[in-house]
Amino acid sequence: MFKGLVGWFHKLGSPPYFDTFAARWSTWCYIAALPLFGFGLWQALAVVPADYQQGDSFRILYIHVPSAWMSLFVFGLMAFYSAIALIWRIKLCEILAMACAPIGAAFTLITLLTGSIWGKPMWGTWWDWDPRLTTELILLFMYLGVMGLYGAIDDRRAAARAAGLLAIVGVVMLPIIRYSVVWWNSLHQGQTIRVFGESSMDSSMILPLWIMVLATKFWFVGSLLARARADNLRREVGKAWLREKLEKSA
Amino acid sequence: MTYFKYVALAYAVFFVVLAWDFIVPRLQIRQQLREARARLTRASRGSAAAVDEELSR
Repeated sequence: MFKGLVGWFHKLGSPPYFDTFAARWSTWCYIAALPLFGFGLWQALAVVPADYQQGDSFRILYIHVPSAWMSLFVFGLMAFYSAIALIWRIKLCEILAMACAPIGAAFTLITLLTGSIWGKPMWGTWWDWDPRLTTELILLFMYLGVMGLYGAIDDRRAAARAAGLLAIVGVVMLPIIRYSVVWWNSLHQGQTIRVFGESSMDSSMILPLWIMVLATKFWFVGSLLARARADNLRREVGKAWLREKLEKSA
Repeated sequence: MTYFKYVALAYAVFFVVLAWDFIVPRLQIRQQLREARARLTRASRGSAAAVDEELSR
């Protein structure tokens, strides 16, 4: 079993095999994400009752919280891939790490914007230099830094190594963001949803949240594979396997 | 629905950013494949010209 998995991983490292794999599974992941988004949003907007204090504005939670979780998860994954790429020099891990950055930046941007939109009616302001908001903004800058560094160096492999190092150093931000509401006085609310243990949110409001979390995960994998495929093609543009593939498809 | 415009704006932001995330890699893949096809065409034209020259000698 383990031997088979290692064999498959080695096979996945082959650019032609990865191209076929990414093209197929990216589409399936998007197809899995769409009905989940549809069902989750229908539940979030039409089925779940309004909050007794926040009214319907709390419905923003169903896009804000999954995006915030994804912003942290994607950064952690990017650093993980970068570490593997730096230690074992696996090209596929460089590609996957760098493909994580724009997706993570997109989720961080959604988190900041939807949080700001939610903050206006609830806190009376679009923005506050609150620890949670500020650290999340720094996370966005770190994603942009990784993307900028990767784009600034011509040699793709050297660029991925430099940007990967920045991602690894940036991991220190993740616990700071996570515990910012505990360590400092914050306008942002504390933890209300727990994976393990009882959430302080009513159980009738939880289901759409988990559906949206699952949908964003599928979306992320679909987008990751599509972006990694694009980068793989860019690196392999003059190679024989791609010529043969195009000749066959013509 | 209370706070309708805030909820609508937040969901619009969500969908616009995800739409961007969906479209951009597709455009990049298309561009790379187009570039690879152009290289292939140039290479086949080049080899055809070389064969023509050889025959004319």
